Amino acid sequence: MSSAPQPETVTLTIDGRAVEVPKGTGLVETAAFAGVEIPVFCYEPRLGPPVGACRMCLVEVEGIPKLQAGCTLTAQDGMVVRTAQTSAKAAEGQNATLEFILVNHPLDCPVCDKGGECPLQDLTFRWGPGASRMTFPKRTLEKPIPLSPAIALDRERCILCYRCTRFSENVSGDGQLVARNRGALSLITTFEDEPYSGPFTGNVTELCPVGALLPTQYRFEARPWEIQNVPTVCGLCPVGCNISVTTREGKAKRVLSRNHPEIDQGWLCDKGRFAFGHVAAEDRIREPLERVRRRGFAPLSWDAALERAEALIRGAEGRIVTALSGSETVEQAYALGKLLRAGAGAHSAVLPEATSTALDAFRAPLSTIGAAELVVVLGDEAVTDRAPIVDLWITQARRNGATVERVAGGKPPRSLTERLRASERAVLVWSGRGGGGGDRLAELAHALGFEGKPGCGAFHLPATPNARGVADAWAAAAEGTEQDPEPVSLLIVSGDEAAADPAVRAMAERAEHVLAITMYHGLAVGWSDLVLPGTSYLERDGSYVNLEGRVQRLRRATIPPVPDELAWLSQLAGRFGVEVSPHAAVVFAELSERLYEGLAYGEVGERAPLPLRTPYAAPVPATTQPVPPPPAPPGEHFLGNLRLQRYRPLFSGPAVERTPELQFQRPPAEVELAAEDADRRQIGSGDAVSVRSNGTAVELRARISRALAPGTARIAEEHAGELHLEVEVVKA
Amino acid sequence: MPELRIVLAGAEERDLTKLAAYREAGGFEALATARQQEPQQLLDALLASGLRGRGGAGFPTGRKASFIPKPDQTPKPIYLVVNADESEPGTFKDREIMYSVPHRLLEGCLITAHAIQSQNVFIYIRGEYLHEFEVLRAALDEVRGAGLLGGVTVVLHRGAGAYICGEETALLESLEGERGQPRSKPPFPAISGLYASPSLINNVETIATVPQIVAMGAEEYAKIGVENSAGTRVFSLSGNVVNGGNYELPQGTTLRELIYDVGGGIPGGRELKAIIPGGSSVPVLTADQVDTPLDFDSMAEVGSMLGSGAVIVIDDRCCMVQLGLRVAQFYMHESCGKCTPCREGTRWMVQILHGIEDGTAGQGDLDLLLDVCDRILGKCLCPLGDAAAMPVASYVDRFREEFQAHLDHGCPMRGESSLDGIFAPVDQHSHDPVADAITT
Amino acid sequence: MSVREERSLHDEIQDVVALYPSSRSATLPALRLAQERYGWLPPEALRAVAEALGETPAYCLAVASFYDMFHLEPVGRHLVEVCTNVSCALVGAQQVLEAFERELELHPGETSEDGEFTLRTVECAGGCGWGTVVAVDHRYRERVTAGDVPAIVEELRAPGAADA
Repeated sequence: MSSAPQPETVTLTIDGRAVEVPKGTGLVETAAFAGVEIPVFCYEPRLGPPVGACRMCLVEVEGIPKLQAGCTLTAQDGMVVRTAQTSAKAAEGQNATLEFILVNHPLDCPVCDKGGECPLQDLTFRWGPGASRMTFPKRTLEKPIPLSPAIALDRERCILCYRCTRFSENVSGDGQLVARNRGALSLITTFEDEPYSGPFTGNVTELCPVGALLPTQYRFEARPWEIQNVPTVCGLCPVGCNISVTTREGKAKRVLSRNHPEIDQGWLCDKGRFAFGHVAAEDRIREPLERVRRRGFAPLSWDAALERAEALIRGAEGRIVTALSGSETVEQAYALGKLLRAGAGAHSAVLPEATSTALDAFRAPLSTIGAAELVVVLGDEAVTDRAPIVDLWITQARRNGATVERVAGGKPPRSLTERLRASERAVLVWSGRGGGGGDRLAELAHALGFEGKPGCGAFHLPATPNARGVADAWAAAAEGTEQDPEPVSLLIVSGDEAAADPAVRAMAERAEHVLAITMYHGLAVGWSDLVLPGTSYLERDGSYVNLEGRVQRLRRATIPPVPDELAWLSQLAGRFGVEVSPHAAVVFAELSERLYEGLAYGEVGERAPLPLRTPYAAPVPATTQPVPPPPAPPGEHFLGNLRLQRYRPLFSGPAVERTPELQFQRPPAEVELAAEDADRRQIGSGDAVSVRSNGTAVELRARISRALAPGTARIAEEHAGELHLEVEVVKA
Repeated sequence: MPELRIVLAGAEERDLTKLAAYREAGGFEALATARQQEPQQLLDALLASGLRGRGGAGFPTGRKASFIPKPDQTPKPIYLVVNADESEPGTFKDREIMYSVPHRLLEGCLITAHAIQSQNVFIYIRGEYLHEFEVLRAALDEVRGAGLLGGVTVVLHRGAGAYICGEETALLESLEGERGQPRSKPPFPAISGLYASPSLINNVETIATVPQIVAMGAEEYAKIGVENSAGTRVFSLSGNVVNGGNYELPQGTTLRELIYDVGGGIPGGRELKAIIPGGSSVPVLTADQVDTPLDFDSMAEVGSMLGSGAVIVIDDRCCMVQLGLRVAQFYMHESCGKCTPCREGTRWMVQILHGIEDGTAGQGDLDLLLDVCDRILGKCLCPLGDAAAMPVASYVDRFREEFQAHLDHGCPMRGESSLDGIFAPVDQHSHDPVADAITT
Repeated sequence: MSVREERSLHDEIQDVVALYPSSRSATLPALRLAQERYGWLPPEALRAVAEALGETPAYCLAVASFYDMFHLEPVGRHLVEVCTNVSCALVGAQQVLEAFERELELHPGETSEDGEFTLRTVECAGGCGWGTVVAVDHRYRERVTAGDVPAIVEELRAPGAADA
C-alpha cells in the first residue's frame, strides 16, 4: 500500500512574503494564507467559478502590465504579486473601484439595516476615497421593492456583484432571480415581479455584500451594537444547520448561517431562517391548563399543575404510554425517560422513526454528497421536504457532473447497483417512510461494500430533527422492558409531531387521561386533561443528534415565556424520588457516559465533529414489508380510485403557520395528478376538483405533474383532511 | 491610389453571391488545394503570411490558430467561430464582404476549419445585418448543396443588438444563449471557449483573406503592405468625406491618400479638423497627422491605433465636446453592466461631458473627466471601458483649448456644430419606468 | 396558408435547438421566433419560449432585455430606426431624425397611438460611409437626407405597404 500522493505545491510571493500552497489554490485564499487580505465583493467560491465583475480585488502581478482581478487567478509557481498593501498602482485601482461603486450608491447608511456590518462600509473605510466627487444626479429608483414578503430589494444600494443571481442560477438552481437590462440600467429582478419563492431564497440576504437584499423581518429592528448573536443549531429538520440567532433584548430578530462546511456550507432553508417568530406567536400557551368539567380549560399554577401531573402518573399505576416527537433535546428525552421509567415504571413509549444504528458503518459528512459522482435517492418523498439542505448538496453534485438517480421504492435496478458497487464516490439517500428507518438502506450499502470507501455514504432522512437522539436517550434513561399497557390509563403526548401521529391520536381516544406538552393551542389540547406549556429549540440548552449521527449543541437564544421542560421535569422527578438536574450540561454529563463514550458537553463545541464509523452490524431483517395496495385498474366506478400520497411540504407545520412572511410559500390547496389520470377524467391543470373517500371529501384545484406516477393523487398533508388511502377524483 | 482588391476581388465585375460565378472566378480552388495539405502546413502558411486579425486587436492569425490543441490533445470538439458582429462605429467592411463575397468567407471558414481540424463552424452575425444574413444563408445552402462542406457543420447564428458581443468572450456567451457579458480570462478561448471547448475566433475579413493567401501563396501575400502590417485592409471611410465607402488598399497607405485620393476629400470646401483612424474607440488624430500611414506601427507611433480600419473624417464644423459626449453615450449604452468601472464610469463620463457642453460644469470637471478616464483605463474586465476612456481622453488632450473654451464661454460653435443636439439612444424614451429613472 | 402558421412555436424552437450542442444556445433564435409571432415579447411569449427551452421565464427576460432588437413593450407595425452615431451624425442624422419626428409626430422611443409606427434612434448600424442610415422594418436605407423623409413616410402609410 502506498500512501496518498502529496498534492503538488507551488511557491509564490505576495507583498514580499513567500507562501507555499497546493497548486490551483485561488489567489485570494493564497493571500489570506500569507496573512494578506485581498478585498472582494463579487468573489464567493460557493457560487461557482469567479466572475471578476466588481474589480475590488485588483492586484499587480509581475510581468503583466495591467492590474489583474486577483479573484480570477490561481497561485502559480514563482508568481510575484503585490496587493494594495505594497503597490500604489493596486491601491489606486481599488480606490477607483470604490469610487465608481459609490458614485451611484445612495450612501443612506444611517437608515440602512446593513450599516455596521456592511462590507461596502468596511472596504470604503479602508481603501476608498474620503470624499465624493460626484456632483451630478445619482441614479434614483423606487425602493425598497418587496422581492417577496420575506426579502426587501433596494436597487439603489445594489452594486451589481451578481452574487444573488449566481446563487439562484448555480446553487439553488431555481433560476428566478436575474439581472435585467444592460450597463447602467442593469437591475436585479424576478419575472413579472413575481415573489422570489423556493426553499432557499433567504440565502441571498446573507450573500449580498451591501444593504440591497435584506430580510423584511429585520427591517429597522436593531443596530449591530445592540445585538447579540447566539450560536446554536436549527431544530426544524434533521440536518441541524448551524445557525446564529441575532437577538436584541432577549428576542430573536434574525437567523443567520454559521457555516458548518460539512453540514450546510453556510446555506439555510427559508423555514430555518425565517420561522423564528413562532416563539412569539399569539396562540402560544403561556401557563399550564386543566380541563374543567369537560367543557373548557382553565389555567392553573405550576405548583398545582405538577401536583396534578403527579396525581395522573401515580393514578395510572404504570399503565402509561409516552409519545415522543423527535423534537425534544436529548436531555429532555432522557429526563422524561428517567422520570417515567425509573420513577413510575412506565417503560412504554411511542418513539419517532429514528435512523438505524446500522448506518453508523457508513457514516459520512453530508459534504460527501457534494463530492459524489453518483447519487441515488430512494423513497417516495421529496428530499427538500424532509431535509432541504441535502437537496442543495445533491444539486452541487449534479453541477459537478454527478449522475443523480431517483428510484421509487427501496430497490435500485441491477444496472444501477453495478455502478454503485464500482464507484468510489457514490451516495445513497433514503427519503421517505418505511425501510426500517434506514435498516434496508444499511443492508444495501453493506452489500455494495461501502464500509471500506470513505467517499461513499448512506443517509437516511428521518422525519424529525432529533429522532435518533430522543430514541437513544429514552432507551438509556433506565432499565426495564416495555409492556404495552391495556387499557392505557395515561397517555403523555410530548410535542406536536407526536400529536400529529394518527396512532397516537387513536390511542388518545381510548386512554383514560391525556397529558400534553405543547407550545400552542393546537391538536393535542383538544383531547387533553392537562396541558403543560412547551418550548422551542430556540429557547433550550441541550443537544440534538442530526441525520449524520453528529451530536450538536443547542444554546438558549431567547428567553421562553415559560419554564423550560428540564426545569419542571426536574421538579416532577423529585416528587418520585428520581434525581434529574434542571441543567442540560449536567444531564448531558450523565447520559454521555451511556451514549457518547463520555463526550464532554464542552467538547461538542461550536463546530461539532462527526464520530467515526463503527463496524457493520446487520440490522434486524425486515419482517413482512407492508405492501401498499395496488391502485385499482382504471375503468371501474368513477374511473377507478387513486392512491392518496400525503406529503408534508417543507413549508408546513406549526412554526411556518405562525410566520406571516412564509405564508406565500405554503402549498396551495391542490391535488397533483399524473397526466393520463387527469386526461381520463377530463381534468385540466387549474380545474376545481373534488377528492373523495368513504364519505369525506375535499375541494381542491388540480395540477398536472409530470413527475408523478400514474395511479396516484398527491396532496399536501394540510389539505388532505380525513381522506383515506384510496380516493376518487372528480371534476367539481 | 488604386485599390488592391484581394478580399473583395472580383465583386465589382460580377455577382459573386452566386456559387457558379464565384467558382468561375476561381472560387473554392483554394479549398481543394488546402484539403490536399496537412493542417500544419496551413498553419505555417498563415504564420508566414503575416496576417493579423482584422477585427481590431491585430493579433497574428497564425499564432492564434496555433494555440488550438490538436484533436489528439483534447477530448472535446474544436470550434471555429467567425465574429461577424461588426458594430464598432465607423466600421462597415465585414458587411460588404458578406453581401458581396459570401462564398469567399465560407471558403475561408472551411480552409481554417481544416487547418485547426475542426468540424464545427459557427458564424455569429450581427442581428441588424438581415440582408447580409440572407445572402450568407443562401450562399451556405449552395455550398452545402454542392457538397463542399466535407463533413463540416456551419451554423449561422444571429445576434440581437448588442455591441459588446463583438468582444470574443461576450460573443461566446451570447452564442451559448446567455446575456452577452464578457468572461474573465484566463481561461482563454483557445483552451476553453465555446461550450468550454477549444475555440478559434476570427473576424470576417481575416477569414475571407485566408483563401487568397492559399491561392497566391503566403510569401506573395506577405509582400503586400509594410513591415508588421502585411496585406490589404478593407478600409471603411466615413464622415465628412466626398466618397464614403469601403476601399481595399495595401496597409501603409496614408490617411491623406485614402481621404483625398480615394475618398475625394472634404466636401463643401471645409477644413479637415480631426481623424478617427480605427473606429470610434481609438484616440483621435489631428489634421496635421494626415500623412500618417495606415498600418499598425505607424498608428502606434502617433499614439493611436489602426483598430478595425474604420476612418472617420471630421471637418471643422464639429464640436469636439459634442463628439466626446456622443462617443461616451455610445459606450454607456453598450456597456454590458458586468464590471464596475465601465458600468459606472461611462455614465459618469456622459454626465460630466453634458455639463461641459451645456456650460454647467466647473473648471475642476475637466480634470475630473480625465481622472475618470484614467480610473477606467486598464481596470475593466474587457476592452469596452478602455474603448470609451481612450478616445475621450484623447479629445481633451488634443483639443484642450476647445474644451477650456466651453468652460469659459460655452460652446464656441454656438449651435452651429454638425453634432449639435444629436440625439443618442441612451436618452431615448422607454416604457421601462426604471430606465427613465436612471438616465436622468 | 403558409406552412409556418401550421407549426407551433414550440416545434419551431425545437428545430433550432437541434442545431446546437446545448438547448440554451437557441435562446436568441427562439426569442426571435416568438417576437415574429407576437410582434413583441409580452410575458406570455417569454413563458412560451421558456417552456420550449426548459429555461425559466426569468432567464428569458434576462436575456431578452440585454439585446436591443428584442422588444419588451409593443412596437408599431412599422419600425423606423435612425442611426445617430458619429459618422451619420456628422452628415446630418439629427435633421433626418427631426424630419421623422415631424412626419410621424413621435419622439424617439415612442409608438403612434394607432400602432402603425415606432420611431427610435439606434447606435451605429454599419452603413457609415453612406449616412444617414435609416432601417425601416430592418431594411437599410442609406444616404437618407431630411428631404427624403416625407416620401418614406408616405410610402409606409400607403395602403398595401408591406407589413413589417
